[in-house]
Amino acid sequence: MNRNSLSLLIAGIFTVSTFAVAQSQNTPNTAEHAQHDHSSHSTGQHNEQEADQNHVHHEHIDHNEHQHSSDHAISHEHDHTMDHSTHTIHSSDHASNGVESHHHHMDHDHIMDHEGTMIMGQNFDKLPSSCQSISEEVEITVRAGRKYSAKFPGTAFAFDQQQWNVKPCSKITWHFVNEDNIRHQFMMHGLPKYLYKLGMFHLEVTGPKTVSGAMIVPGKDETFLVHCDISHHMEKGMKAQLVVGKGGTNIPSIPGLTPYNLTDTYEAENLPKSGDKVKSSKMVRQITQFTNDNLQTYGMILIGILLGLLCIPLVKRILWSREKVGTS
Amino acid sequence: MPTYIFIALLTPFIILSSVAYSASKLPATVKVAPEALTSEPMCDPVIAPSWREAQEIEGVKIEASPVCSPDNPAWIAAAVKGTNNISMDTLMKTGLSPDAIIKSDDIDGDGDPDRITIRLEIMELNGKSPDFPGIIPTFDIAPGIQPGAWVFSPKMSGMSTENFESIRANPLLRLPSPVIRVEVGDIVQIVLENTHYFPHSIHLHGVDHPFAHHEHEGQDGVPQTSEIELMPGDRRVYQFQARQPGTMFYHCHVQTHTHLAMGLAGMIIIEENRPNNWLQTLNIGAGHVRHPSVAVREQYDQEYDLHYHAMDKELSQIIQRHNDPRLIARDMNQRYDITDSTEDYYTLNGLSFPYTLRESLIVVEPDQKIKLRLLNSGGESIAIHTHGHHATITHYDGVEHNPVAQIMRDVFDMAPAQRLDLKLETVNDGKHSYGEGDWLIHDHREKGITTNGMAEGGSMSSIVYKSYLGENDMPKVGHFGIDLNKYFTKEYYERRLPVWQDLDDWSSLGSPGERSGLEDKTQTSLIYGIIGLLFGLLLYWTFSKRKSIKQVIFGTISRMKVSKGGNQ
Repeated sequence: MNRNSLSLLIAGIFTVSTFAVAQSQNTPNTAEHAQHDHSSHSTGQHNEQEADQNHVHHEHIDHNEHQHSSDHAISHEHDHTMDHSTHTIHSSDHASNGVESHHHHMDHDHIMDHEGTMIMGQNFDKLPSSCQSISEEVEITVRAGRKYSAKFPGTAFAFDQQQWNVKPCSKITWHFVNEDNIRHQFMMHGLPKYLYKLGMFHLEVTGPKTVSGAMIVPGKDETFLVHCDISHHMEKGMKAQLVVGKGGTNIPSIPGLTPYNLTDTYEAENLPKSGDKVKSSKMVRQITQFTNDNLQTYGMILIGILLGLLCIPLVKRILWSREKVGTS
Repeated sequence: MPTYIFIALLTPFIILSSVAYSASKLPATVKVAPEALTSEPMCDPVIAPSWREAQEIEGVKIEASPVCSPDNPAWIAAAVKGTNNISMDTLMKTGLSPDAIIKSDDIDGDGDPDRITIRLEIMELNGKSPDFPGIIPTFDIAPGIQPGAWVFSPKMSGMSTENFESIRANPLLRLPSPVIRVEVGDIVQIVLENTHYFPHSIHLHGVDHPFAHHEHEGQDGVPQTSEIELMPGDRRVYQFQARQPGTMFYHCHVQTHTHLAMGLAGMIIIEENRPNNWLQTLNIGAGHVRHPSVAVREQYDQEYDLHYHAMDKELSQIIQRHNDPRLIARDMNQRYDITDSTEDYYTLNGLSFPYTLRESLIVVEPDQKIKLRLLNSGGESIAIHTHGHHATITHYDGVEHNPVAQIMRDVFDMAPAQRLDLKLETVNDGKHSYGEGDWLIHDHREKGITTNGMAEGGSMSSIVYKSYLGENDMPKVGHFGIDLNKYFTKEYYERRLPVWQDLDDWSSLGSPGERSGLEDKTQTSLIYGIIGLLFGLLLYWTFSKRKSIKQVIFGTISRMKVSKGGNQ
């Protein structure tokens, strides 16, 4: 068992009791759910199942607030922002025809739904020690998918952008739009560990679907790695950087942005060319064959002759100067 | 004068004799010190010993598995109940995505779910990184042996490595592709989410499946007949409702000659339909089935899935040579020639000896009936030999052999893609079993017990009786003076450790050191050189003393003349 899942497990144990209670309270909570403002829903058309899914989110948010309000200094604001972010989890067509299981794992650090949509290291209000206050609040939409790799030959997956710039102490709400039919991640590393578990902020979702989460960047100039950690997604192009202020050292091998540490060796290949067929005349083929074969030889001879002609005056001058020396 | 001539003659003589003496003495044995080796513990300490015990999780009874690295019991609970029917606590212990295994709808009303959805992803192991001169995520099939590979893996959640600091693969990402178990009549959906950078597919070899599905279209996985390649980032559903049971095979059918050998191959078992038959839908890493089906439990005491595979070094190195998918595609599709290839790595359940001892032991007790399901997904026929036992072949390619005509053998030949079901009976009657012991089970083509030609390696494992299990549930061999530690070093497989150096106290078959003296040829030329030098010195001496020599000569001549004259 790895360290990562161990920590998740601890988090899981911590909340499993509250989770169980939440499960059993599904029905009574619907009354509470009605208090929520439905106009803030950003989901377009959705069927009953999806609506139900959102219900569950509401319930958990409520529940979470009740359970944890004592832990949070600014519980009201906490509730509000969390509400906002979880609304943007859109459901989509998916292959499952199984029963919706209401797997919703939740604490202030880790949220996961029944499809594995995940928000980790979310931070709405805890200021990094290097910040006096939040400098600005920004919303950034990140799109992920195979199609964004088209503009970078030699990659397979990519984000729509490879760099984002924000001011130090910004609060960023990320909207991560996965446009593929598989899992992708928006994973940021190197954040202060006293605020972010393992120094990570992590959004994960199976597409096509969107997940949103908020975080606050530290107050000094720094550059953070953003990538998808699914095996070889980063290596094959799904890599970017978040530049805070003037930024720090660039992250290597970001497609179209920074050089690769190690590059492959490329060589010309004997590919069939459309021109090969056009030269059908025997005569033409012979001539082109001849010139192709002998171009190098004759070319070099020509260059040699030219060089020789140019050198004659020089040689003459040297000879004359010697004669002069000899006579004097 | 005589003294320095004497010295001049003595010096070369001493030199020559000393050279001759050193030539008669052979170099001493150099013994590799244990401290110089990268030793691994025989049993990986990361895995909790409590995983070996018989236990019950989420109401799922899990049999004991007394081996050093047993399956994570949470995996088994999730596979039996479905990731949708377990607590978040258990789910978090698995690392699986909450929608990895969805079980629902008891359609026939017999007490078990009949709609099974399994989500598989495709992951790369030991592939090249553009960021550092190494490979990621790493998976060792034997100490220091990291062939580039691809696997179908159960849909997971989170990081592909153990953590951000580690480059070792998450335990869910491993060879072989997981064993899938479903029941006759189940409506099964295998949802392939292509997380890899190449196109792939799934072909259900031997499984009763429709050629096409009205909703999901092509179902046979073949790009030349039933469907186009599933591109990266896309998803395809393979749906079937099998009418016949049996041990079957699933694999990628895109560029099969390379994709299968790369690891995109696994066992799929259709179990007989029984009431209350909650199956272990995935056996991750194959091996011991710790929650066997009702039908198997009716007849057998234990069940093991044994997946034999082979890989070619030249093929697996392609993904370690390039990072650009276009170059990998070129080298695999156009340049790699399988007709000139040789297999180098032989694995049982994704690992080679000695790692097979950690998790692929067949642990038995006397008078047991054990069901072994074997698959050969390598490119050549294999010949599995069971030391100390004859087993009965009950099924060929998933179809039961006429019970009256069933035969017993101790070598089981298996063509590529072939499956055999064996009944192993540990009855000590001199035929079924010769008694208790730590009995080898191995491919008897001798290269099958090597790793890249280095024995002992390959797909070798053991049928070991409980009384022969020792510390950490590894086979007890110490009482015979056997030391397996040398196999748990990467230097052994780098061919740098003399295999027999520890067989006796003075390492009679250890590594000879460098010769202290000179080689024969240099010696001879040196001797000639010295002779030449002496000759040269003689000439010089003669030349420098020519006057005195002349005088001496003339003196003697005149003296002779004088004496002659005197005589006259």
